[in-house]
Amino acid sequence: MASTFSGLGTALSSLIAQRQALTVAGQNIANANTPGYTRQRVDLASVPGAQVPSMFATSDGVGMGTQVTGISRLSDQFLDTQLRSHTGTASFLAARADAYTTLETSLGEPSTTGLSSQLSTFWAGWHDVANSPDDTAARTVLLDDARQVTETLHARYGDLQTQWQQARSTTGTLVDQTNTLASNVADLNKRILDITNSGGSANELADQRDQLVTQLSGLVGATARQRPDGQLDVMVGGNMLVSGDHVRQLAVSGPAAFSGATGDPSAVPPVVAAAVRVVWADAPTQDAALSGGRVAGLLTVLAPPDASGTGGMLTEAAASLDTVAQALADGVNALHRQGQTVAQATAGSTAPGGTDFFAISGGSAAAGISVALSTPDQIAVAAPGSGPLDGSVGQKIAALADSSSGPGAVWAAAVAQVGSMSASASSRSGVAEQARASAETAQQSGASVDTDEETVSMLAFQRAYQGAARVITAMDEMLDTLINRTGTVGR
Amino acid sequence: MLGRVTQQTVQASSLRNLQSNLSRMAALQAQMSSGTKLSLPSDDPSATSDVMRLNASSRQLDQFSRNASDGTSWLTTIDTALSSTTTALQRARDLTVQGGNGAYGTTSRQALATEIAGIRDDLLKQANTTFLGRTVFAGTSNTGAAYTVGTDASGNPTYTFNGVATSSVQRQVGTDTQVRVDSDGSAVFGNGSSSVFATLDGIAATLNAGGDPTSQLADLDKHLNAVTNEAASVGSRQRVLDASTADLTSASQTVKTQTSGLQDIDLAAVIMQLKSQEVAYQGALGATGRVLQPTLMDFLK
Repeated sequence: MASTFSGLGTALSSLIAQRQALTVAGQNIANANTPGYTRQRVDLASVPGAQVPSMFATSDGVGMGTQVTGISRLSDQFLDTQLRSHTGTASFLAARADAYTTLETSLGEPSTTGLSSQLSTFWAGWHDVANSPDDTAARTVLLDDARQVTETLHARYGDLQTQWQQARSTTGTLVDQTNTLASNVADLNKRILDITNSGGSANELADQRDQLVTQLSGLVGATARQRPDGQLDVMVGGNMLVSGDHVRQLAVSGPAAFSGATGDPSAVPPVVAAAVRVVWADAPTQDAALSGGRVAGLLTVLAPPDASGTGGMLTEAAASLDTVAQALADGVNALHRQGQTVAQATAGSTAPGGTDFFAISGGSAAAGISVALSTPDQIAVAAPGSGPLDGSVGQKIAALADSSSGPGAVWAAAVAQVGSMSASASSRSGVAEQARASAETAQQSGASVDTDEETVSMLAFQRAYQGAARVITAMDEMLDTLINRTGTVGR
Repeated sequence: MLGRVTQQTVQASSLRNLQSNLSRMAALQAQMSSGTKLSLPSDDPSATSDVMRLNASSRQLDQFSRNASDGTSWLTTIDTALSSTTTALQRARDLTVQGGNGAYGTTSRQALATEIAGIRDDLLKQANTTFLGRTVFAGTSNTGAAYTVGTDASGNPTYTFNGVATSSVQRQVGTDTQVRVDSDGSAVFGNGSSSVFATLDGIAATLNAGGDPTSQLADLDKHLNAVTNEAASVGSRQRVLDASTADLTSASQTVKTQTSGLQDIDLAAVIMQLKSQEVAYQGALGATGRVLQPTLMDFLK
């Protein structure tokens, strides 16, 4: 037979357990809106009756109440993994789509003030000079138009340079952030291990850690693997970024200036186009091989041009601008050299006397193009031997507007190329973001707090608590009968 | 998959839906306020490149029109000069025929010679006609006059043509169309001793000397022919310019229509879309406001 008082112990265990369960429900409700919080649940287990209570004692087989075996964190590792992988992809594509949007905004096309309309005005200026070679005003206007075209080329090139520099410094900042986050994850790993070793519950720390790892996925496409001891290993490109409480740092290597990414054959010594890379700080030659995340997206933005025109978007756009500038200078100069100025023709010379109209200096044609003529009378539109006021060379130059390999055509093709790349980058980014959002919804639907559910739990725990209290009262009354009322027969 | 729905997931998805509704509305409003479908190349890459090409060709067509109207002014100037020249030359021919009349005495012939000298001066003025400071009969010359008058060793006047016979002033009125808008003075008026001025001088000299100038009529007729021929040529070139101008105007219209079709919004359609988007957005707002209000607490007493 069990002890007379054992029922009190059973009820007490329920009081303690229900109170603890109510506290956990309170914690859930308190954190209903905390980002990254994963709902918790008290694991209750019934305590079985003693099998062999003691010598000479017998068990009645009734259980000994209830007990809290632990507080579990209702997260789903698989959903977390899915969310991280989608976050890595979505951040990668979003970084590219953002960069493309910035790029195409800076192109300034289509508009009535962009490079293409300035080129049209420039060609029309040649017609005016060819029509009236004696008109200094037309020549001055032409020189001004030409200077405007060169300034626009400089400005477009400068925009690309600025965007590249910004992307480069953002990459550095993000890699620093990655290192900090990785250190925090390692620190949390250590604390979680300490707490679980001493039998405690480290659910809140695990929440923090999971959030950090998801951030790491967004930055460098990190993946995570849970160890049996509760620590989380974080990997980047197949290598350990965080292993237990040990961290490997990442670093950025490669050119720090735009000219290093585009290459500059005119520099001494010549600069060969090189890629910006993310490497391991302790092994600077070993590429981190990022497979996703914003940093990987920025690395593709910073990439050098390649032979097939599929290199980095900024360096390829710079190469297109260089082609435009080179085609402009080559086309105009070749014809202009065939011409004669009014003074040369008046002097009776029959040899072509025109000089270069445009000059190009430095490694980039777009950044280094300038108008070589200083005064309007140096414009040579007369064909040799056709009289001082002939304009036939000017007409030939104006006809470059229709050339299929001329600057206008090259520029239009480059703009259309950037536009279609940008459109496809945006739509891919949109699709990836949808996938990420639905992975997040799936993860949240498992992990987030439902206040209705917690209310129901509160009700249940409250009722159970009331029941246990009533058991104690009943026991008490029973014992009162036994202790105080027995042995009073006949009093 | 989504077995469990919580306040947080409902909040998140409501927010996402509102966001996407709002961004669609912002895109439509941007189209409405800017009036263009193409604000960035990525809005329609191929239309962007078409619009850039069409804008360039529109600018070029405008320039061709300018060239054509400038050319018309040149040809009109030449036409006026040539018709004055024809009248003057015919008068000179009449006088020369009169000079052949045996009844005329020396005095009368000298009077005829004076008038012929006047006609020569008039012809020189016509030959040196300028348009905006440029001589139309020596288009590529910058000497200011198509013919310079000098005197030779024996005191006789000489006439030097200043133009370059092989060169011409052209106006580009189409990608492949050029029209000559000046006249070769040496073909119309001749050059040096074979010029119409020298011929008139010769007739005047004959008359002054009391001789019969009719033998020089053939020379005069040759010049008259040259002027008439040039007038005909100017007329036909003017016709080419007129036709080009008409072509340019209609081509310009076509380009403008095409550009507008590519980049301008269909206002009615956009307004309709915007309205229906507004309704959708309001619906989403209403649903969001309703769905997040009640919880179980509201029903527990």
